[in-house]
Amino acid sequence: MLQCDFQFQYAEFNLKVKLQMQKQLLGIMGASGSGKSTFLKNITGLLQPQQGSILLNQQCVFDDQKKINLPMHKRRIALVFQNAWLFPHMNVKQNLKYAENLCPDQNKKFSFDQIVDLLQLKPLLQRASYQLSGGEAQRISIGRALLSSPDLLLLDEPLTGLDYKLKDQILPFLNSVKLETQLPMIYVTHHADELAYLNAQVVYMDQGSITEIPKTH
Amino acid sequence: MILGLYFLPSMSILHAETIKIYAAASLTNAVTDIAKLYEKQQPEVKIVTVFGASSALAKQIEAGAPSDIFFSADQDWMNYLVQKQKIQVNQVKPFLFNQLVLISPLQSKQQFKAVPTFNFAQSFQGHLCTGQMESVPVGKYAKQSLIKLNWLNSLNGRIVGTDDVRSALAFVERSECQVGIVYKTDALISKKIKISGVFPSNSHHPIVYPLALTQQGINNQSAVKFNHYLKENAQAKKIFVQYGFGL
Amino acid sequence: MLSSEEWSALYLSVKVGFFATLFCLPFAIMLAWILARYQFRLKFVVEALLQMPMVLPPVVLGYLLLILFGANGWIGQYLNQLGIQLAFNWKGAVLASMIVAFPLMVQPIRLSFQMINQQLEQVAGSLGASPVRVFSSISLPLALPGILIGSILCFSRSLGEFGATITFVGNIPDETRTIPIAIYSLIQQPDGEQGAMRLVILSILVAFGALIANAYILQNYQRKLGGKDAAM
Repeated sequence: MLQCDFQFQYAEFNLKVKLQMQKQLLGIMGASGSGKSTFLKNITGLLQPQQGSILLNQQCVFDDQKKINLPMHKRRIALVFQNAWLFPHMNVKQNLKYAENLCPDQNKKFSFDQIVDLLQLKPLLQRASYQLSGGEAQRISIGRALLSSPDLLLLDEPLTGLDYKLKDQILPFLNSVKLETQLPMIYVTHHADELAYLNAQVVYMDQGSITEIPKTH
Repeated sequence: MILGLYFLPSMSILHAETIKIYAAASLTNAVTDIAKLYEKQQPEVKIVTVFGASSALAKQIEAGAPSDIFFSADQDWMNYLVQKQKIQVNQVKPFLFNQLVLISPLQSKQQFKAVPTFNFAQSFQGHLCTGQMESVPVGKYAKQSLIKLNWLNSLNGRIVGTDDVRSALAFVERSECQVGIVYKTDALISKKIKISGVFPSNSHHPIVYPLALTQQGINNQSAVKFNHYLKENAQAKKIFVQYGFGL
Repeated sequence: MLSSEEWSALYLSVKVGFFATLFCLPFAIMLAWILARYQFRLKFVVEALLQMPMVLPPVVLGYLLLILFGANGWIGQYLNQLGIQLAFNWKGAVLASMIVAFPLMVQPIRLSFQMINQQLEQVAGSLGASPVRVFSSISLPLALPGILIGSILCFSRSLGEFGATITFVGNIPDETRTIPIAIYSLIQQPDGEQGAMRLVILSILVAFGALIANAYILQNYQRKLGGKDAAM
């Protein structure tokens, strides 16, 4: 679970976040430009806060006082974007295996077949990256992220850009992922219904700060 | 007014009579001095000098380069132009002589004996510079001497052929080459090298510099006069001798 | 079919071109990467220096090489003591070709790197790939078209390299007399035109062969990546 308290400043923009994940899935909602993506970038390590600390499962990945700043590739935090970003020079299976190979065997959380089954990727394995629909690519992107055996999964508007039919197809997959893997997840979106479906702890981001709203039910 | 200034020099050239002389690189200093002298005495004449390897010059003249006088470092290239009908055979006059020498950088202790038994290849390290042996006169003479002295084969891969004799001289001056084969007249000009040996004149074809008016030059009155000057004038001859040429 | 001198010129040209391209590659890839990914204050100075060989007359470059790397040169004299000789040597021809062709190799590789969407590299990093691994498994393969183009340009430029080469390493048959220099020598010789023409045809064939190979490889690679890519 993620716990953080930090401040990040860039030009005019000031991001100040203090939060502790209470549930397995944390949903972040907010208008464009409110700082959601910047927040995620600070968590994965693409950006460094000026001040504060970030802890994942009680382990510190960033602390400006203690001069700790774990590089991105060591944080075990996987990121799924709106765009699948599949590696174009590899086919689907190679994309998945790439992630799997980055994790030493003793730390592997999931097996290849397990993830392929979970996301129904079997018929897609031999396809080239450009031979996929938006929904298929996104499932593969999620599968790839899972195969890297992360300690935390970040999803930055993963369903934005897909039509409603596809969203309705993929949401159940996300729910299965949540239930089967028990991985902590942070899910950024505009759509409250997605978060409701996934039974998320919801917070709001507004101009760089987090506000919690009381649960509605 | 600026436009007028632009036209001024070309107008003065139109008035002057121009002579274009294509001469072997080894003649650079001598011919330049003589040309300057002549221009002083004949102010309405302008002499344009083009120096280079006689091979390169001959090829240019063959291709149509505007030349009034050709002053070659060997007979072969003069005959070549006669063959290509750029020069009439009766215009050709063998004029100067030269010697072939071996040079080394000043600090070198190179000594050589011009006999086949002398192990020339072993007597120096690195490369030997001379003109391209297939075309440049000094290279051709050098090749003849090296063959005659039975030294050529043992020098395999160590001979650097340059475009003309002055380039070879420059390489030795820079100590890029430990040894060079140039004309005696070139060696005398340079203070950065020394003559470490002379090739006997029977080891190569006689080094004769023929002089001739080209087909173009015959019709150029000033060129005819200058050609005559080069051959007959006492001061001109003195300059050639000063530089070490034989008459 | 070819005389021994012509074989020698061909062999030398290909040998010099091959090694020049090979040795340029690591430096070109490194510099292209730095220029594509990093901003720094004196970047414009680096870019200007990079362009110099394309702007300076080749003879000037050759002369500078002679001053630096000649047997008596500033650097050359020390290399000489180590037994490394570059002047009047095919290795010097390689160096001359490397210098003149280097900017031609850097540019396409740099463009290729610039065209790679950095999100891909970031995703790889988030999956656990170290920066070195990201470079070798993602950036480099995706930059392959640029690397190929750069290599072909370097090789071709080297095939045609004349001014710097002849000034620095001279015109020595079997050692530095590459095809352009051989053509140049033949033109100086009485009735050398025929031989020169044969070499001209030979150089056209070699250059064309290299370009065909390049186009073929590129075409196959593009097919592998598919029509529309998010990456490029």
